[in-house]
Amino acid sequence: MVLLIDTTTEHIGTTIEDELLRSGKHAAGFERIDTTGMRISHCVGCNDCWLKTPGVCAIRDDYEPVLRKMSAADQVWLISDTHFGFVSWQTKNIVDRVMPIVTMYLKFKDGQMRHVMRYDHQPDIGIIYTGDGDQAYLERWCQRTALNLGSRSLGVFSERRGKEAVSCML
Amino acid sequence: MHVVIINGSPRVQKYSNTEKIIAAFAKGLSEKDVTFETYAVSNRSTWDRIRDAYLKNDEILIALPLYVECVPGLLLEFLETLPRKDEQTRLSFILQSGFAEGCQLRCGEAFLEKLPEYLGVRYGGCLVKGDNFGIRLLEEEKQAQATKPYQAMGRLFAEGDGFFREEAEKFTGPESFSLPMRLLMGLIFKTLARKMFQKAAASWGCRVPLDEKVWETGR
Repeated sequence: MVLLIDTTTEHIGTTIEDELLRSGKHAAGFERIDTTGMRISHCVGCNDCWLKTPGVCAIRDDYEPVLRKMSAADQVWLISDTHFGFVSWQTKNIVDRVMPIVTMYLKFKDGQMRHVMRYDHQPDIGIIYTGDGDQAYLERWCQRTALNLGSRSLGVFSERRGKEAVSCML
Repeated sequence: MHVVIINGSPRVQKYSNTEKIIAAFAKGLSEKDVTFETYAVSNRSTWDRIRDAYLKNDEILIALPLYVECVPGLLLEFLETLPRKDEQTRLSFILQSGFAEGCQLRCGEAFLEKLPEYLGVRYGGCLVKGDNFGIRLLEEEKQAQATKPYQAMGRLFAEGDGFFREEAEKFTGPESFSLPMRLLMGLIFKTLARKMFQKAAASWGCRVPLDEKVWETGR
């Protein structure tokens, strides 16, 4: 399943969805979430999801259903505006709050410390961005983020390269 | 020198590891007669005051925890509210994380290196240090012990070269661990560390295994 999470002010996820439908590549199923109007807080770093109520976030807002879908998806595409060449804070909040699917436990993988993931299945992560994103930095960040989740980066695409991104979808 | 220190952690100050690091660092500043004022972005109601201090001063230090390879979302939101400033202002960073190896913080550091340019200000360097997760779990006396090395970095910063000196670079410690060390730590992670984490969790009122698959068991 492909999950599109759109935080952009121009809702460009709809264009990506149209492209996906046109391409006929949606057989495995997809869902688009537009976060406009949703109550999604930033992570407050309370550590409850690791140490108090493992796997459950202490913040009761609209995020948990999103995380459940992310956890079950094969691919998560973050569709984001950019500031400072990086994803927007709205998208960063969505990524910061994945900690319930990560456990407190540690291990070494490929020579570096990693957290042990809570579930066996991990989604691969891709980025589609608007504006003046720093392509090289976004690629680096996406790869590192996927590494932390025990998955792979699907690549980083500017809005103009939306078609190319769609070609990487299942 | 007068430094505006901004705690960029979204965690409430009382439990913030970054706050304790700042306290030790500021002690070092004081020893060299450098004055400072501190703020915390976790308290959204103070954002106007922080912005005001940022605009009125030219020596700014943001201390922050690494959140998923970069700046925490809340700090990113605050940064987007800052107007462009001039090169008279110097912006430096203390980037701290839970993971212990230096290599884990480099992606975050790379963002911070470029950030001042976007804001129109000068970069004063970034002090990078991992292995700080446990600070909040320690007793007060041990917390002071754990953060004491930052005091020396405060004294170093007071000398005016930001974090560009060799001592600041060395402060990070090893970029990665040797294979024998990894094997030893890996064994500890599987045994002793799990017991310690479970014990810490029990003191927080947790009664289930820390790796419980909550959603699959339908709880």
